[in-house]
Amino acid sequence: MRRSGWLGLYAVAYLIFLYAPIIILPLFAFNDSAVIAFPLSGFTLNWFRELTGIEAMHAALRNSLFIAVMTALFSTLLGIAAARAATRYNFPLKAGIMGLIMLPLVLPEIIVAVSLLVVAVQIFGMPLSAWTVIAAHTLICTPFCIAILNTAFQNLDPALEEAAVDLGETPQSTFRLITLPLVIPGIISSLLISFTISLDEFIIAFFLTGNEPTLPVYIWGLFRFPARIPVVMALGTILVAVSIILLAIAEYYRRRGLARAGQKDTGGFL
Amino acid sequence: MFSFWTQDFLSLDTTPTLNNYREFLAEPLYQELLRRSLIIAGSVTVVTVLLAFPIAYYVSFYVRPERKSLWLFLITIPFWTSYLIRVFLWRVILGFDGVVNTALMNLGLINEPLTFILYNPNAVVITLAHAFAPFAILPIFVALERIDRSLLEASRDLGENAFNTFRRVTLPLAMPGVVASVLIVFIPTIGDYVTPRLVGGPEGLMIANMIQTQFLRLNNAPLGAALAVIAMLSVTLISLAFIWLTRKYLRAR
Amino acid sequence: MTDRNAIIDLRDVHKHYGEFHALKGISMEIAEGEFFSLLGPSGCGKTTLLRSIAGFEDISSGALMLDGADMAGVPPNKRPTNMVFQSYAIFPHLTVGENVAFGLRRKTGLSKSDKARMVDEALEMVGLVGYGARAAHALSGGQRQRVALARALILKPRVLLLDEPLSALDKKLREQMQSELRRLQRQVGITFILVTHDQEEALIMSDRIAVMFEGRIAQLASPQDLYLRPKSRDVAEFIGVMNFFEGGFQTGAAGIEMTAQGLGAARITGDQIMGSGSGTSCAVGIRPESLSILFEGETTSERIAEGVVDDLAYYGDMTYYEVRLDGMDHPLTISMKNRAGRPVLERGVRTRVAWDPRSLVVFS
Repeated sequence: MRRSGWLGLYAVAYLIFLYAPIIILPLFAFNDSAVIAFPLSGFTLNWFRELTGIEAMHAALRNSLFIAVMTALFSTLLGIAAARAATRYNFPLKAGIMGLIMLPLVLPEIIVAVSLLVVAVQIFGMPLSAWTVIAAHTLICTPFCIAILNTAFQNLDPALEEAAVDLGETPQSTFRLITLPLVIPGIISSLLISFTISLDEFIIAFFLTGNEPTLPVYIWGLFRFPARIPVVMALGTILVAVSIILLAIAEYYRRRGLARAGQKDTGGFL
Repeated sequence: MFSFWTQDFLSLDTTPTLNNYREFLAEPLYQELLRRSLIIAGSVTVVTVLLAFPIAYYVSFYVRPERKSLWLFLITIPFWTSYLIRVFLWRVILGFDGVVNTALMNLGLINEPLTFILYNPNAVVITLAHAFAPFAILPIFVALERIDRSLLEASRDLGENAFNTFRRVTLPLAMPGVVASVLIVFIPTIGDYVTPRLVGGPEGLMIANMIQTQFLRLNNAPLGAALAVIAMLSVTLISLAFIWLTRKYLRAR
Repeated sequence: MTDRNAIIDLRDVHKHYGEFHALKGISMEIAEGEFFSLLGPSGCGKTTLLRSIAGFEDISSGALMLDGADMAGVPPNKRPTNMVFQSYAIFPHLTVGENVAFGLRRKTGLSKSDKARMVDEALEMVGLVGYGARAAHALSGGQRQRVALARALILKPRVLLLDEPLSALDKKLREQMQSELRRLQRQVGITFILVTHDQEEALIMSDRIAVMFEGRIAQLASPQDLYLRPKSRDVAEFIGVMNFFEGGFQTGAAGIEMTAQGLGAARITGDQIMGSGSGTSCAVGIRPESLSILFEGETTSERIAEGVVDDLAYYGDMTYYEVRLDGMDHPLTISMKNRAGRPVLERGVRTRVAWDPRSLVVFS
């Protein structure tokens, strides 16, 4: 295209800025020194080995995985319902209601955390547990799920479902034979995205987790012990790798969904 | 959400409630924190959006269509990886014997480590500009994508040069995207307490840190809630004022 | 059409969407094996009517009989109708063959090889032999259209419903598909109901046409009757072009005497008068091809009027003249076939215009 020299350079520099932390992370994870500083002193796998021995961390990991799986399921289910309603039906105050559902996307997370803490503890008298975190994470993940699923449902021509019924299928079998296969890529990427968000989320979890910390909350605790920081780096490397793999899979399914529906690719998530 | 919120607040204070607000007014520390938070959030917004605009412009106008989604994917990846770890790594990068200082000293550009880049508001701005990058890029990108390319050709055809075309056609049409990214960066920034805690030092602490402290350390949830309400109100007012000003400005042209 | 059985019988069908009255009392019969068109501008209710027959819309009142059975409460999948959708609705995740075979899934008593044979036959019928294994989303517009036809016809419906099936195709392809659809309909003998806003398409393809305006049937007739004897000025203007004159008529002992501004008086017959109003201040209409320019030295047995060429448009095979007759304030459109030895007139020249009283229509 046209003279893109300077802008191209800037774009590359910007990408380096974006990726700097992720590139630096594994350097220290494999660095044979307890001090997080340059110069690097040598290669080691000790930090990863040490990871396997910390029981509290394993508990936090299990807790986080449970929360992330439940969050992914709940927010995707809610997302399907909302996206389906938003793309198929018109109801009064539709724009307002959809706006309200999408609001957590821009609310400061601490506000969400504090509100939910107050609601859960002061009003419902619920004890803090994995379930309060799941509720909060579902709240913040649902807008992302709706955004992804909306695209999936919008790309679905209503005439396709009518055609299936016209050709003799019942509404139930139409959903199974036509609707589901066409939106399943969207559902998979919605599940993966909400799983990733929940797994990494700290601010809200910190407020709402009871005496069973999630993995990020546990990591936050470790920051106070300088000796443990290389272990955190190792753990972080694994987490980042897992996140990137999950996202790549989500992106793959999103594109496949577009290809299946015969649509042009118009952009990424959101 | 607001009414929802206020109700929560009222229901936990069964006795008269204005005391907490009075305390906010009486204690200069809180006001100072709020003022500082708004200034930091404002700087973060300006820096992030200024840095983001050229990227969005580049991807929208110069990247080949089939490569665009790859670029967007690359831009969003860091955003999805553990926030906590990313912020911590900025401490590593900006620190006393961190990456930046080591590199600059090895290159002989500086003799002693720079200290103005960590444990102060600058560090908070850099880190948050990083964290909210995709939030700022995507709305601007979407707005730029919507611009009919023949409008730009029409402008050139009518005698404007490239720069004036950008100023008189591209920029006004991209404004809705810019407004969206300003809001989408500014509002959540106020609520962050991880970054100030990890890289901000004593001068970089923000209102959210105080809310967190009130809730979890001092067990003064009502005061924390009052602070949260005040923070939220200030953010909303500023956002509304901003939207109003841009609308007025755009209409005036 | 009394010699054939009515496959569809509508009796005072109404449809309301909240405040909006989409169908205002539709009553008609559609005969078995007929190629029937619903023609009208967008928003006239033609698609609503088609979707009501398919079962996608419930009618608010009245009765809809299909093959002698009342269709009230019968869902689309239980009706002996199949539809070709405007967007074709080809399932993008299935192959061409799977699309065509889709409706056979529910048919019991068919072996796998029976089904495969039926799919092949259906594809052959629409000229897509060998396309069975192709991915559906890679097809062109015309091919999608054919797959949609094969998919519906394989079920041998009593009625095939077509919702603007040609509107997405370009002109050449559309004309080709028009004759193919016509041929296909004669071949399978199934009743086709076509919804279209293209009057030419309706005239070319249909046995009968129902012209709809604002939820009502304005006229139901064969293409020729519709063109030559439109029941109202609205129908006349929607189907092709018609020139109008102010005029009137009087019934006397010698027959009916019509007068029109610019043309003068002439004797007409009763079937040329549409409507049952009085003979004063009527609109008198005549089609552009029923008027002709008389060139130098030509003579005619028809009536003659004189005027000036205001403007003209040269189409290659035809020339369309705008001629202002003496004493008229608006020009008439006259279409003339171009042939050897016949000049194309220039703007501003005086000319004679021949007309035949038999081609007049009077709207009272």
